[in-house]
Amino acid sequence: MKTFKGGIHPPEEKQLVKDNPIVDFPLSSRYHVLVQQHLGAPAKPTVKAGDEVKKGQVLSEPLGFVSVPVHAPTSGRVKEIGKIVHPVTGLLAPCVVIDADGCDEWAEGLPLERDPFAMSREELLNVIKTAGVVGMGGATFPTHVKLSPPKDKTIDTFIVNGAECEPYLSSDHRLMLEEPDRVLKGARVIMKVLGLERAVIAIEANKPDAIKLMWEKAPAEIQVEALKVKYPQGAEKQLINALTGREVPSGGLPMDVGAVVQNAGTCAAVWDACARGIPLIERITSVTGRGIVQPKNIRVRVGTLLGEVIDFCGGLNGAAKIIYGGPMMGIAQFTQDISIMKGTSGVLVLREQDTNITAYSACISCGRCVEACPMGLIPSVLSKLGEKGMFQKAVENNLLDCVECGSCTYVCPANRPIVHFVKHLKALSRAASAKK
Amino acid sequence: MISSILLLGGIGFLAALILGISAVTFAVKMDPREKEVLDQLPGANCGACGFAGCAAFAHEITVNPDAQMACPAVNEAALEAISGILGRSLGGSAPLIACIRCKGAPAETTNRYGYVGPKDCRAAQIVAGGPKGCQYGCLGLGTCEEVCPFNAIIMGEDGLPHVIESLCTGCAKCVSACPRGIIQLIPRTGNYCVGCVSKDTAKEMKPLCKVGCIKCGICVDVCPFDAITVSKTASAEIDQDRCQRCGLCVSACPTGVISALRMPQKVRIIAEKCKGCSICEQVCPAEAISGKVKEPYIVNEGKCIGCGLCIAKCPSDAIERIIS
Repeated sequence: MKTFKGGIHPPEEKQLVKDNPIVDFPLSSRYHVLVQQHLGAPAKPTVKAGDEVKKGQVLSEPLGFVSVPVHAPTSGRVKEIGKIVHPVTGLLAPCVVIDADGCDEWAEGLPLERDPFAMSREELLNVIKTAGVVGMGGATFPTHVKLSPPKDKTIDTFIVNGAECEPYLSSDHRLMLEEPDRVLKGARVIMKVLGLERAVIAIEANKPDAIKLMWEKAPAEIQVEALKVKYPQGAEKQLINALTGREVPSGGLPMDVGAVVQNAGTCAAVWDACARGIPLIERITSVTGRGIVQPKNIRVRVGTLLGEVIDFCGGLNGAAKIIYGGPMMGIAQFTQDISIMKGTSGVLVLREQDTNITAYSACISCGRCVEACPMGLIPSVLSKLGEKGMFQKAVENNLLDCVECGSCTYVCPANRPIVHFVKHLKALSRAASAKK
Repeated sequence: MISSILLLGGIGFLAALILGISAVTFAVKMDPREKEVLDQLPGANCGACGFAGCAAFAHEITVNPDAQMACPAVNEAALEAISGILGRSLGGSAPLIACIRCKGAPAETTNRYGYVGPKDCRAAQIVAGGPKGCQYGCLGLGTCEEVCPFNAIIMGEDGLPHVIESLCTGCAKCVSACPRGIIQLIPRTGNYCVGCVSKDTAKEMKPLCKVGCIKCGICVDVCPFDAITVSKTASAEIDQDRCQRCGLCVSACPTGVISALRMPQKVRIIAEKCKGCSICEQVCPAEAISGKVKEPYIVNEGKCIGCGLCIAKCPSDAIERIIS
């Protein structure tokens, strides 16, 4: 079975939620739609307090190419342009607060019926941008940017990422099982945009039911590949390496080796946008972990408050840590007053005994992190430089190639927060180059 | 025996010859003043001058006749000495001192979450914007203390950094290291500093911090020199050029967020010069001056706040500061 070099085998813990079918989260009375839900240039709200909005209506205007709008998750009235804690930065960020009217009425003309295969490449890219589609694996990079490679790069490989290597999470798994057509049709639309005849859908071997179903459903031009169960199998560069043997050069992007990777959820969102005109206003999220009473896979609107989601799943049970995303790369939250974003692939609630919040000690130079690093870096050196804030030296040691997957931190016997050191060094390096 | 003596002696002679020749041909010609200048510089290699350490700056200022004193850490005596060595007058910048603009010790403030991780404010800042409830307040992990090349900042028992006035050289290392931007350089002659940079309104701040600037504007009203500005979304700012160090704002501030770097210099009236016009009594905001018209007035030192308003108003130059 195909895989990459390095990586780790954390407990999968997917059994908590992987067999629970997707349930629709009921309509809320109020939504807090963050304006900035993507990586890149900011967007500006275009509605004001008191405006009536319909489901799917545009709420913000992207400022720049690498930027996307957000849309109203339901019909109702804009209460205010308020502020809410942003789950990624932890700081207050602007959001559109919508009081739902309960009618859940679509904006005029939505949803529509059209044949995306009859549309031109430019039309499709424009639809994908205006529908606010971003990478739904968690990084939230605008999809239309990834699908518009510069002219000098030839793309010959398109990979649908169904690996879902993060422990605990099953949102992509459930999506592939329950709505395989959306994923596959979306993948074909992306193939058209990229001008490719073939695609690969990559799934980790711990989801045999999804592999089997995809095998049956997939058209001839989409090949299904089972991958070895190993973390971070679903990381873009590792996935490309496992499937094609190509290595993305240091400082480069997947397009430098002719590859484009899109998450299975993103493919489904692309299909909705192109065939039905539906913008990205809801997603499938795994609410899981032993600290939540009833783990569920939910279809939830963007802008729903985390507190409501937790109540819907039976409330907390001895929770010590709430994480947006998976345990390896997710972001710990300090409040329940935050909203579900386009990139919230999971809400993980851990109890104290599932976490490890002990002090770290000196590096013993055992080299386990070096073995685990899927990028071939020397994390122990980076962590020691991080302690001293020596970012220039760290950049010489390929600091900027670190994908922050957390494999090194997971295996470190001295409990060293290596990824934290790396993020610290990257921030110092960014600050220094901004000054110049 | 003889041969080995000759052999070893020969090798020694040969080596001495090579060393002697290279000492002459490869000698690095250095301006002797460079070494003397270097001795006068602080030697902390802090880099605030923009050069790679004190030696590099000593070289620059010695060889380049147009170079000015870029070292913010050099004291007056050393500046004079260097001017003497180089035989030209050097313009130095006005000496500065760091002031910590947060008084939110852990006892006065709330935290959003418990932080575990590297003991560095900059590292804590990237975890959901830092553990402190107030997003403008001091994180208290001592990065400024760590980076200070002159050991002029110490973390106090209250969990806040404190600047040691006599050691601080105003090199600005701490200013750029602080992720919250709460360290400001003010002229050494300045005395008052608002210990808060929060942009939160009083209502937003209330649950987060008991000692922050609540933007009430009392300081603006009491300041006789229009040196303070405040707005709904910006803490009070003291214009150090306008500030006459009267200290009225300190006693007026309801949260005690404005503090003095040093004790105020009190005043006294020179009896021989005083004509007893009573202007001083009228301008004194602390009611510290009393007396009878046409007789010398007297300053009550216990009440005097050292604002100096009377000095400015006295028509006969009869008031002076008490120099301790």
